Amino acid sequence: MRRWGLIGLAGVLLVVPPLLPERHLATFVLLTLAAAVTVGVSLLMGYAGQVSLGQASFYAIGAYAAGLLAVHGTPPLLGLLAAPVIAAVAAVLLGAPLLRLRGHHLAFATLAVQLILLSLLAQADWAGGAIGLQGIPRFSVGGLELRDDLGYAYLACAVLLIALLISRNVVVSRAGRGLRAAATSEVAAAASGVPVGGYRLAVFALSAAFAGLAGGVYAFFLGYLAPGSFPVLLSIEYVVMAVVGGLGTIAGPVVGATVIVLLVQVLNTLGTQPGMPDYAPTVLNYAVYALLLVVCVLFLPKGLVPAVTRRLRG
Amino acid sequence: MSDLIGYLLTGLGIGAGFALVASGLVAIYRVTRVVNFAQGAFAVLAAMLTASLLGAGVPHGIAELGGVGLGAVTGLLVGLVAIGKPGTSPGTSLIVTLGLGVLAYAIEILIWGDQPRSFPGVPGVAEMGGARLQAHYLLIIAVTAPVFAVMAWFFARTDLGKALSACASNRYAAQVVGIDVRRMGLLAFAIGGALGGLAGVLTTPVQQVTFDSDVALIVNGFAGAVLGGLTRPGVALAAGLLLGVAQTLVAGYGGGAYQVEVALVLMLTVMIVQAARTGPVAEAAR
Repeated sequence: MRRWGLIGLAGVLLVVPPLLPERHLATFVLLTLAAAVTVGVSLLMGYAGQVSLGQASFYAIGAYAAGLLAVHGTPPLLGLLAAPVIAAVAAVLLGAPLLRLRGHHLAFATLAVQLILLSLLAQADWAGGAIGLQGIPRFSVGGLELRDDLGYAYLACAVLLIALLISRNVVVSRAGRGLRAAATSEVAAAASGVPVGGYRLAVFALSAAFAGLAGGVYAFFLGYLAPGSFPVLLSIEYVVMAVVGGLGTIAGPVVGATVIVLLVQVLNTLGTQPGMPDYAPTVLNYAVYALLLVVCVLFLPKGLVPAVTRRLRG
Repeated sequence: MSDLIGYLLTGLGIGAGFALVASGLVAIYRVTRVVNFAQGAFAVLAAMLTASLLGAGVPHGIAELGGVGLGAVTGLLVGLVAIGKPGTSPGTSLIVTLGLGVLAYAIEILIWGDQPRSFPGVPGVAEMGGARLQAHYLLIIAVTAPVFAVMAWFFARTDLGKALSACASNRYAAQVVGIDVRRMGLLAFAIGGALGGLAGVLTTPVQQVTFDSDVALIVNGFAGAVLGGLTRPGVALAAGLLLGVAQTLVAGYGGGAYQVEVALVLMLTVMIVQAARTGPVAEAAR
């Protein structure tokens, strides 16, 4: 995405929230946060060639870090700033051994890490255990408290723009070119002097930081966290969003997250119509994620954004 | 002492489920190089169908066979989508099987709802060496052992099994001598489906099954399979059993809550050690 694309998106994000009816604002916040996490996933999968099936772990780590700090009296702003840092540190500690793995091994390893994290969180009484962490204060800077959804919408937008800006700069940098080379052929890249291992770890940590920051906002927005809010399926959702939007593009994650969240929203509305069985929304959700993932991977392997831009350019 | 024997036998029973899932993964991976994320779903689907058939009055044995059959058919269908399109890379197929595993959730909830299900197995309690355990665990062990014997015979002695093994050791050479590699891949998926289905049918009487119990099965199965480098069925069998025993021992003597962590940390350690030994270059060059 060129500079104008980012500025355009910033404009859209500035204008849209006040226009939305109150009841849709929560969806907007969650959509924007999901997009921010997906930016990291896309960077990881598209540029570093790594599949992470545990990205929701870092979302959870960020959320719990911010939540716990705030519950124990740290100013919310500090808690929110600490969230990406703690998530990135966790990613470095986990990534140092895990990133020796490739392909399906890495996919399973990240999945395993998330299962371990969920199980540990459910047993950690200091973090609320299975019942969850309650009483997280609202976000505030100085004396200004963020009470309504509109404020959180803007906060989430800021997070998304930061993630986009950073990843755009990473992609066009020398390190970004090195990463792309490593994704195609690791051996060739290493032979030409790209510090592949270091770059991989750096991208892993960066994508975790995006997820952690988004998780921090999520903690203040909901005011309540439970291990059940971060299921394995959430990690898979991020992968679906990244794949559907288009890996290795900057606009892809935003488009992917928007398309999927809106589609799920429509289906949920449909599924909760009178006369529909009460399991309808769940079934529709699973079916949509599954079919989109399979169809996209098989027939639109590059995702929506490259397909559409190619069509537009003729 | 009697506690130990009880834990060991229970662990072997649970481990047999993991071993069956693991060998299903191995059967598919050897022939197609695809890690099948939908492997756990075969077990869940088979268990659910068996529960329904038994509920409808179908006698034991036939209902279980029906479940295993459904596992095999589902395996074939997953294989058709995952490797049916020419030029699909194993990485793409992995994502496809992941998607199909999620699709199975939708289908399972649609047909069977989201409540846990179970059905009765062998009733009663058995006594062995002073240990008391559910008799059904003995049935699991008694069924799994011959299944593995038949599998070993099938791969080593029959033409079809040899063709499958040929694809596993060298796809190109297999193609040259006229083996239809794609058809062998689909057969491997069907076998994997049947093995997964058998795991579900056997273990459901002692462990309830829900639509999302596939995650635990696939992770434990993968942990077992990975010990054998995803290619050696014998090691996968041993590793699956070991994993089951380790988990029951941890649950029995230590914190029951930590048995998930034990299996997962074990798997991570093995994978990292293996990766350190072979190195990334070997993997990239393959």
